[in-house]
Amino acid sequence: MAFAENHINTDVPEKDVFALHFLQTLSNLSTQNPFSSPDKKSDRVKKIKKAAYVSMARAAGCTDRLWSRALLQRAAKRNNKIVRFPRRRKRVTWLRRRSNRRDPVEEAAAERLRNLVPGGGEMKTSKLMEETAHYIKCLSMQVKVMQCLVDGLSPK
Amino acid sequence: MLESLVSLESMSLSSMDVSVLERLKWLQQQQQQQQQQQQQQVLSSTNASPELLQFHGTNNDELLQNTFSHFQMLRSGFGPNYSMGFGPSHEPMDGCISRTNSCQMDQADTVGVMLKNSEENIAFSLKSKRKSEVKTRAEEKTEKKIKVEAETESNMKVKSNLSNTEASSETSKQTSKGASEIQKLDYIHVRARRGQATDRHSLAERARREKISKKMKYLQDLVPGCNKVTGRAGMLDEIINYVQSLQRQVEFLSMKLAVLNPELELAMEDLSVKQFQAYFTNLPVLVASKPSLMVDAPLFPLDQQGSLDLSVINPNQATSIEAPSASWETQSQSLYNTSSLGFQY
Repeated sequence: MAFAENHINTDVPEKDVFALHFLQTLSNLSTQNPFSSPDKKSDRVKKIKKAAYVSMARAAGCTDRLWSRALLQRAAKRNNKIVRFPRRRKRVTWLRRRSNRRDPVEEAAAERLRNLVPGGGEMKTSKLMEETAHYIKCLSMQVKVMQCLVDGLSPK
Repeated sequence: MLESLVSLESMSLSSMDVSVLERLKWLQQQQQQQQQQQQQQVLSSTNASPELLQFHGTNNDELLQNTFSHFQMLRSGFGPNYSMGFGPSHEPMDGCISRTNSCQMDQADTVGVMLKNSEENIAFSLKSKRKSEVKTRAEEKTEKKIKVEAETESNMKVKSNLSNTEASSETSKQTSKGASEIQKLDYIHVRARRGQATDRHSLAERARREKISKKMKYLQDLVPGCNKVTGRAGMLDEIINYVQSLQRQVEFLSMKLAVLNPELELAMEDLSVKQFQAYFTNLPVLVASKPSLMVDAPLFPLDQQGSLDLSVINPNQATSIEAPSASWETQSQSLYNTSSLGFQY
């Protein structure tokens, strides 16, 4: 994870890479347990959502980014549950001590952002910003892809 | 001669002890010159001795004078023992030939000794030269070491000064400048302006803040509507809102896909993964030609200008969604609005 200090590299793959990964995961889902089976709608929604996140993480490069790695690890751990990103505090005293000296409002905002970005609990603030930038890019890509899919599938 | 040599050597040694290199070299050069002169003298004397041997039958006086001069020469060199040995040889003039012979032999021996001595001297001088060179090198090294040590000591002193200044945090301008220079060497991008603290923690904190602000600027360009907000906390709030909106969009779209599952399943049945792959491997050319358009337009024919027919799914929200989706952002924004309005299945 070595980046030049002046240059922030958050290159994201093309849209079709995301689309390919998403469709692959969806097809895997449908082959595992088809949608036509008597399933609850909420479960289906959760599955699709998880598929979307996992495919996004895969498309972004599983090991390149901290957030994608954390997301995939979490997805592998809780295979049947929703993807959540709780704050994992490792250096509590360290953070508390530091946050005394800093802007409390900013720190609180950073904490909220940590809760949103997967794997953000273990990042320092500068790293968190970088990861957030990449995550935002990937998310917007994924949203576009899903939007296209929905638009294509929706009955006219 | 030898005494002078010895004295010179001792001088040179003493000068080596003094360890002034240039002076030593100069002295060595002088010594070499003197030695060469002495050798020449000795050689001339040795050259003279066979002549003496040749002439000692004819001219005793000259021989005696020569020998005497040699004795004088040698006496000055070898001290009282030789003079005591040769002392009585001058008095009887008759038996001078044998004695002079013997003396000459002795002389020759002494000359040989002299020569040996001179050779030894030369050898010794060479050795001493080498030694002196080695010594000078060692001395240079030691001097360098000393210099390095002195430098390190000075650095340590400066550092200690720095630490002192850190500890006291009341720095005079010069020391603070030196500290900042040293810090510049370590961390180039950190600069302590006037009135700013120069201790280690605050410098690190400043570097961290600079890094964060750089990345915040990058994020500001990325997140729409973040340019208007001033202040880092507000920017962070905006970023958080954007991330949340994107996540909600994903959720909402996954809901839609779950609702549209029969069509999705049909699509899955129609196209296997391999076909998808083949399709998407062929795609990048298309994408390169038309990056703005959606890639799977032939697969899922989109009517981008047309309204989204979501009235089937939820007739209540149809009005908000039916807005023409010219760009993805507006469309997704409208979708996000619908999702935030409590859109439930």
